[in-house]
Amino acid sequence: MNSDTVFHFSGVCVVASPALLFAILGITSLIGRPVGERIIARATQTLVLIGLFASMTILGLMLSYGIRYVPIELGNWVVIPEQHFHFHLKFIFDRLSIPFCILSFILCGTVGAFASRYLHRDPGYNRFFVCYSIFLLGMVVSSLAGTIETLFFGWELVGLSSALLVAFFHEKVNPVRNGMRIWTIYRIADAAFLLAALMLHHLTGAGDFVGLMGTGSWPDGHATITEQHALIVGILLLIAAAGKSALVPFSSWLPRAMEGPTPSSAIFYGSLSVHLGAYLLLRVSPILELSLTLRIAVILLGLISAIYGTLVARVQTDIKSALAFASLTQVGIIVVEIGCGLRYIALIHIIGHACLRTLQLLRAPTLLHDYHTLENAIGSPLSHKKSIFIRVIPEQYRNRLYRFSLERGYLDVLSDQFIVRPFISLFCWCDNMERRWNKLLTGNESKKSDPIKTRSDSMEDYL
Amino acid sequence: MNQSAHQASDQQTVPPVSEDDSVDLRHLIEHTAHYLPAQGPITVFVHHNTLHAFEDLPFEEGVVAGGRTFGCHPFLSEDRYRKKLDNGRIRIQDLEAVLLDDLGESSEILIGGFGTRFALRLAMLQFPLHSGPVSELRWFIAQTDALRHFRQEVDPVVREQTITATRHWIMREFLNGASDNQQGHEQILNSLFDQFGKSSIEKWNDRKWEAFVLHFLWRVCSTGAQKINAPSKQPSQPLRHRDLLLRVTDMDTDLIVHDVLIRFCAAFLDQGISSWSLPQRNLGFYHAFFQVYADSRISPAIELKGLDREIQRLESSDTGPLESIAESLSLLGVTADEREAYISQSLLALRGWAGMLWQMETNAEWMPQPAPADTLIGFLAIRLILDRLVIEHVMKHSYDETGQLDSLRTAILNQTGKQKFCQTSQRAFTIFQLAQVRGWNPEDLLHLSQTQWSTLIKEIEAFSSLERRRIYHLAFERKYRNETLDAVSTHSSRLRIQQDQINTSRLTAPAYQVVCCIDDREESFRRHLEEIAPECETFGIAGFFGVAMYYRGAADAHFTPLCPVNIKPVHYVQEETLHSFEQVSRRRAETRRRIGRAIHQAHVGTRTFIGGFLTGILGSLAAFPLVARILFPRTTAQVRRIFNRIVQPPGTQLRLERIDSRPGSQEEQLGYSIEEMAVIVEGGLKAIGLSRSELFSPLVVICGHGSASLNNPHKAAYDCGACGGGRGGPNARAFAQMANDPRVRRILADRQFMIPDNSSFIGCYHNTCDDSVTWYDLDGLPSSQRKLFAKVEKQFNQARAGSAHERCRRFESAELALSVNEALRHVEGRAEDLSQTRPECGHATNALCFVGRRKWSRGLFLDRRAFLTSYDPSQDDADGSILERTLQAVIPVCAGINLEYFFSYVDSFGYGCGTKLAHNITSLLGVMDGAASDLRPGLPLQMVEIHEPVRLLFVIETTVDAMNRIIADNQSIARLVQGNWVQLAVFDVETSQIHLFHRGRFQPYLPETQEIPTVDSSIHWYRGWRDHLGFASIREHQTSP
Repeated sequence: MNSDTVFHFSGVCVVASPALLFAILGITSLIGRPVGERIIARATQTLVLIGLFASMTILGLMLSYGIRYVPIELGNWVVIPEQHFHFHLKFIFDRLSIPFCILSFILCGTVGAFASRYLHRDPGYNRFFVCYSIFLLGMVVSSLAGTIETLFFGWELVGLSSALLVAFFHEKVNPVRNGMRIWTIYRIADAAFLLAALMLHHLTGAGDFVGLMGTGSWPDGHATITEQHALIVGILLLIAAAGKSALVPFSSWLPRAMEGPTPSSAIFYGSLSVHLGAYLLLRVSPILELSLTLRIAVILLGLISAIYGTLVARVQTDIKSALAFASLTQVGIIVVEIGCGLRYIALIHIIGHACLRTLQLLRAPTLLHDYHTLENAIGSPLSHKKSIFIRVIPEQYRNRLYRFSLERGYLDVLSDQFIVRPFISLFCWCDNMERRWNKLLTGNESKKSDPIKTRSDSMEDYL
Repeated sequence: MNQSAHQASDQQTVPPVSEDDSVDLRHLIEHTAHYLPAQGPITVFVHHNTLHAFEDLPFEEGVVAGGRTFGCHPFLSEDRYRKKLDNGRIRIQDLEAVLLDDLGESSEILIGGFGTRFALRLAMLQFPLHSGPVSELRWFIAQTDALRHFRQEVDPVVREQTITATRHWIMREFLNGASDNQQGHEQILNSLFDQFGKSSIEKWNDRKWEAFVLHFLWRVCSTGAQKINAPSKQPSQPLRHRDLLLRVTDMDTDLIVHDVLIRFCAAFLDQGISSWSLPQRNLGFYHAFFQVYADSRISPAIELKGLDREIQRLESSDTGPLESIAESLSLLGVTADEREAYISQSLLALRGWAGMLWQMETNAEWMPQPAPADTLIGFLAIRLILDRLVIEHVMKHSYDETGQLDSLRTAILNQTGKQKFCQTSQRAFTIFQLAQVRGWNPEDLLHLSQTQWSTLIKEIEAFSSLERRRIYHLAFERKYRNETLDAVSTHSSRLRIQQDQINTSRLTAPAYQVVCCIDDREESFRRHLEEIAPECETFGIAGFFGVAMYYRGAADAHFTPLCPVNIKPVHYVQEETLHSFEQVSRRRAETRRRIGRAIHQAHVGTRTFIGGFLTGILGSLAAFPLVARILFPRTTAQVRRIFNRIVQPPGTQLRLERIDSRPGSQEEQLGYSIEEMAVIVEGGLKAIGLSRSELFSPLVVICGHGSASLNNPHKAAYDCGACGGGRGGPNARAFAQMANDPRVRRILADRQFMIPDNSSFIGCYHNTCDDSVTWYDLDGLPSSQRKLFAKVEKQFNQARAGSAHERCRRFESAELALSVNEALRHVEGRAEDLSQTRPECGHATNALCFVGRRKWSRGLFLDRRAFLTSYDPSQDDADGSILERTLQAVIPVCAGINLEYFFSYVDSFGYGCGTKLAHNITSLLGVMDGAASDLRPGLPLQMVEIHEPVRLLFVIETTVDAMNRIIADNQSIARLVQGNWVQLAVFDVETSQIHLFHRGRFQPYLPETQEIPTVDSSIHWYRGWRDHLGFASIREHQTSP
């Protein structure tokens, strides 16, 4: 058995184990025979361990053979010759993808073990783990993706499972509203991503990262497109990354994501999903090198997000939102690092931050206990020093700044006013025009759709 | 431009509020505040009746009134009761008995030709009656086989009879027809004949006949229901604009208003989560809100446009909160007689936060940041301002552009009021279902007159779903009550006979005595101990042992109260390190402080810019604790404990004796005087019946309790209720130390209360979560007792393992096959597990409270469902003055626990705080659901999951006269007992005769059975079973094995 076979086998294992988990949980639910808690827990544990072990093996082999780039080809899945399009499933193992992949397995595995006890007896146990397996699959696929289509595929899985998990308690109003909002913002990011992918295809004839960044393995690749093209593609990808990583101006979804059960908040918004945007930027970092404008845009966006995050985090009064904005601060800094070309530091920062934040979010319900313990140790009530930043600001601006932070930078109301409203108005206008046309052509008033009552009018069950 | 601002500023439509009016308003608001949840900060969790505000009403009315006010369920749903009926938690005989009792003489009334009222109601209880919106019923009739087959529940005999009778009648009357008297009905039958094919009628098989009969029945019921002239029940019209607007526009104005209010309330009340607190908080809620939003050009929501102008207008006219409330109410068109209800509903719409504001304003002077006076008024003022801005916006944009705010409600009511709610289909369907199970022939129904139809439907509607749930509930309680009383009477007479036989051996004092808290969780611990050591004796007393104090441990930052909430302690007690360890202690305290500071820095640092960067880079290290704590919680905890031990204070003692004459928190004022100690010791021992020297054993263990678990915001709710949600260890320690003091004993001896010299007291602390026991002050134990203590310790260890084993049967994640030691390890792991949402079951399943000597309940398996209070009537006077003191505390406290569990279980999302999974600690005061929601008081779903909602049944060993006297003299007891918020029975140990308090007086109870199972030990009874268990007598062993 030569090393190629081992590489190929392990590589397939890494991707196949989460896929198998998703298949087991998904299919059993789909045919109406959901499996029990214990089986779910055991299957999750086993398959995550297999995936982790396989990726460790690849890492070990790569280190011992001194190989820095291992592609695993899984062939073309969709081929449209007339359009010169093929959906090419390819995974690559390099210095960027392996750490991120191992991180995903470790964190997902730990949180899976946590959730299997935390959600014990919850009616949504099965549903949670189905979403969890989609998420894991999405993370692994997008971290190992070797073509932009594959990355997009994983990216979509992550987005879908995230939105579904935010709306986990679907019998309540707020989780569903917030899940919907997140889904909408993800759509914008996805649209930008898709456009970028199309452009890449157009420019290089394929979605393969090799074609784009030359043959050098990460981080030494050199992109082969022109500066203008790099700028356009880069900006589109930056929008995609900003949506996924909740950078300004998309930040308002991050605290809203805290609607789901604690473990899902921890793993998705605290650690993995929120770093996926940064990961995308790392992956395409050779493009960033081509255009100074683009790099400045990246640095600015990161800096603004970091400052925004740190300001807003200071006034949050619930632990989960405070941690969410604290995460945002660090993601902002990571983006700045990427913009500055500090790729290894950014990678280390991502990994460290993800581990730390997961631990903090999982421990969030124990906050009262922790505060009590600390108070006892210190011997007096805990006090917060006002940060220098706030102390130097004149009194009259402090109030404004406080309001700005309390209102989370007005991002919600501004987007409602300048994006949502005009958007809806536009479509209402179109609807109206269509009706008029209709009337003109047929001479009849067009029928309005029936109003649907969302609430039942049965009073019996209450009083 | 904002309409209301215009109106108010330009036309001066709102006259300034008079002095009287604002006094009235203030009273009104303070009155309504009593409906708000009374739960304070979550760190000090005190159980109380969720419907405390309705305690003046009898229970059955109170739950309905409370349910209406809060929009919550008064009882479980019919389905859940029916499930209990199916699995035997309710028996048919209970339903019958309760129904007969409820109907009294009217049970025999005949309803038309349809049997007695009793029979009709019983049928309605026994068989599920489905109902629903018209569209659903229409679907049900058309799409299911409701018209082809009789309902499953119908007795085959009844079904056969109905079909045969109808068949005969049809064949007789319509085939060979003198059908001249059938006008009106022909139409129904003819269309049916067309449908089924009259020509082949003789060849119809049974299935076709069944379908025919059902079709016929349904047609008859439908036409019959249309004749009824009883008015349909109309849903009441909502009062708040929000509810009306929601109905016509599907826009929920509360969502927008609450979004702003939640954020601001949390910032206003924050006790230390945010590092930048609300500026100008000291101005009070109203003005602080103005300060923040006055110059805001961007409003917090699109619908709140104009908020800044409105605030500037109010500020420039110097309008105070009360005037603003009056102004808002009049702008909204709320009339004077609607005021109270409108204010109450407006406050209750965000009741968690409103309640917390009120608690922080009135009842939390000990918190770091209590709320200033008039906070609730400010809140209401702001809420109404926001309300009217949003309502006006929604009105303008989604309902009626030209409308006026003050006439909005009338406009909507005029528009929607005409839509009458019609119940004809529901009525027809109900009768259709009932007719099947009761065997009413279509023929009989066909001949009913209009009045008869109306009588029938009125009769059915008088027994509405709510009434049925009430009856179910009473029957559910009756089953368990009768079983309990039977068990008590049987078991006690069994024990009496045994004791008469071995009368002589029992006179000697027991080998040792254990005094526990009355808590239901200690029941299993006591029972296991008594099984392991038959020579010991156990007692139950409220777990603060009479030592009401502010306590500060050697490693604590503050004094915390350790006593029931209704007592305000005056004494302060501090734990100190032993003199010889002082040096070490100081060093360790310094180390603790340094570590604490460092951790705090790191904790805050990770959330800042620079600190976050540094910790982020090093954050990979967090992977180790993360993985270790989640995958190996118990081992990690052990390792942590070893490290903690290095910095923990060394040997300590309690500073119990006061130097100064007056108690206080100063150095000299700490502790009690000897005289005060004597009073506490005497009171405590007498209450449990230890009042004669010959009753004392050489060793008396005083055992306090508490609970420790991780990742559990509701931790305090698991602690000792008698210590106000604190841990009772220090109280036990203090009591033991007092009782050991020779000077205290001397004073007591002067009062003819001798504690023998060879008796020693020792304190300990039982952690009910991991079932560990910590002993205090063992150094002071006389050497003569060492050997006995060694035995006691060993038996305690066995008992706690046994108790852990018994607890494990209720945890689904613990295998039923666990051994006793594995069970102990399992509960230890649970307590340290971050991912465990059910560290222990708390008071879940509590249902009983026994007050009396242990001798009649000892050996009775109570399944951890009973509070056990010791009381010896033979040492009390005929009036029951000792009993009175005991009950003054026990009845309200236990009823509070029981009723909180009751309501949190009955409506987990309304009264309880829903599932723990999404909880988010806010302001260090409470939990929200997810990112932002109302503050959720009450108990989480995971805590009450296995509970059975029954009112607490007190079984008190006393006479009817003494109990009547105590009820008459004590307002708080009378309210609970006479209002039936608790169930009460008195018990005579000599005759095992029981009197049950029913309909305002004690009535003799006749046991249903004299049989309860006898088993060798608890484990023989409970093992292998997860669900609730019945009673069993445990055979007594003479000596410990």
